[in-house]
Amino acid sequence: MHKKFMYICFMSNSKLYKGSLTTIILKLLNENDKMYGYEITQKVKALTKGQLKITEGALYPALHKLEAEGLLSVEVKKVDNRLRKYYKITENGEKETTNKLDELAEYIKTMQALVNPKLA
Amino acid sequence: MQKINNEQIEELYAFTRNHFVEYYDLQTELVDHLANDIEAMWEKQPELNFEDAKNAAFKKFGVFGFLEPIEQKQKAMGRRYRGFLWNEFKAWFTLPKVVFTLLIFVIFYAAFSSVYVKYFSITFYLGIAIWSIYRTIQLNRIFRRRKEKSNKKWMMEEMIFKQAGGTLLVFMSQIHTFYNLSESFTLNAYTVAGLATVFTILFLVSYISFQLLPEKAEELLNKTYPEYAL
Repeated sequence: MHKKFMYICFMSNSKLYKGSLTTIILKLLNENDKMYGYEITQKVKALTKGQLKITEGALYPALHKLEAEGLLSVEVKKVDNRLRKYYKITENGEKETTNKLDELAEYIKTMQALVNPKLA
Repeated sequence: MQKINNEQIEELYAFTRNHFVEYYDLQTELVDHLANDIEAMWEKQPELNFEDAKNAAFKKFGVFGFLEPIEQKQKAMGRRYRGFLWNEFKAWFTLPKVVFTLLIFVIFYAAFSSVYVKYFSITFYLGIAIWSIYRTIQLNRIFRRRKEKSNKKWMMEEMIFKQAGGTLLVFMSQIHTFYNLSESFTLNAYTVAGLATVFTILFLVSYISFQLLPEKAEELLNKTYPEYAL
C-alpha cells in the first residue's frame, strides 16, 4: 500500500510537489551551510535516488521568492571563471522550516489515512 | 575534466540575453547554472559539443524557458523596492523628521482652509507634477549613462531610476478626478484635513521615490546584490 502512495505521489509529481518545493529547499538549506541553485537540484536528485527531480524552471522562482520574503539570504563568490550565488537560511527561515515540515508531516498523515486507512 | 572557458561564459551571457533575460543579476545566476550543467554533462560525455550541451541544459527549464524565473524575480524585486520605500516613508513619522512632516501638513491645511483653496490645490498639484516630470527625465538620463558606463543592467537599479515614473503615471492619471473634486469643495474641517493628508503623503512619496532613493542607489544596490561590488 505504501508503494501505491509513492506511485501516486510521483505520478502527478509536478502538481503534488509544487507546494512542497519550498519545504524541500528550506530543509536542505537548514542542514547545509550554503548552497547554490544547481547544487540543490543535484542534491535532491541524489537523495531521492532520481525519483524526484526539481525542475530548473520552478527552482529559481521559488528561491527568489524565499529571498524576497527574508527567509533566505544570498552571498556571491567568484568560482572558476564565473560568479556563483549561494543561498543561506536566515533566522526567520529556520523558524519557517519547522512550520513547513510540520505542515508536510500533517499532509502526509492525512494522505495516508485516505489512501491506506489501516496504517493511520 | 573539461571546463567552460571564458569565451563560452560570454556566450552563455549572450544566450540568456537572447532569451529575454535583460538583467545582469539574473543572467549571472542562470549562466552559472547552465555552466555547471554543461560541465556535468561533459563528465559523462566528453565528446559532446558546447552548443548541444547548452541546448540540452536550457531544455531542462521547460517550455517557458527563463520566463518564469524572470517573472518571479521581478515580483521579488518589486517587493523589495516597496520595502525600501516604506522604510523611508516610516522615517518621516519619527523624530526628528516628523516635525517637518507636520509642518508640511500645517502648510497644506492652512492653504486649503483659505478662500483660495481651489487655486492653492491646483498650484500644489501642478507643482508636484512638474517637479516629478522633471525628475523622471533627469533620472532616465542618469540611468542610461550608468548603463552605458557599466554595460550591465540591474533589476533593482531600473526600479530605483524608473519605477518612480510609474508612481507618477498613477498620480497623473488622477488629475481629472482631482479637478472635478476641487470644483465641489465645501470648507468642512474633515475635507480639509483629508486633503492636506493626501497632499502630505503625495509630497513625501514623490520626494522619497524621485529624490531620496535615487540618491541612495549605490547603498541600496550593494544591499540587494552581494555581487554588485565585485
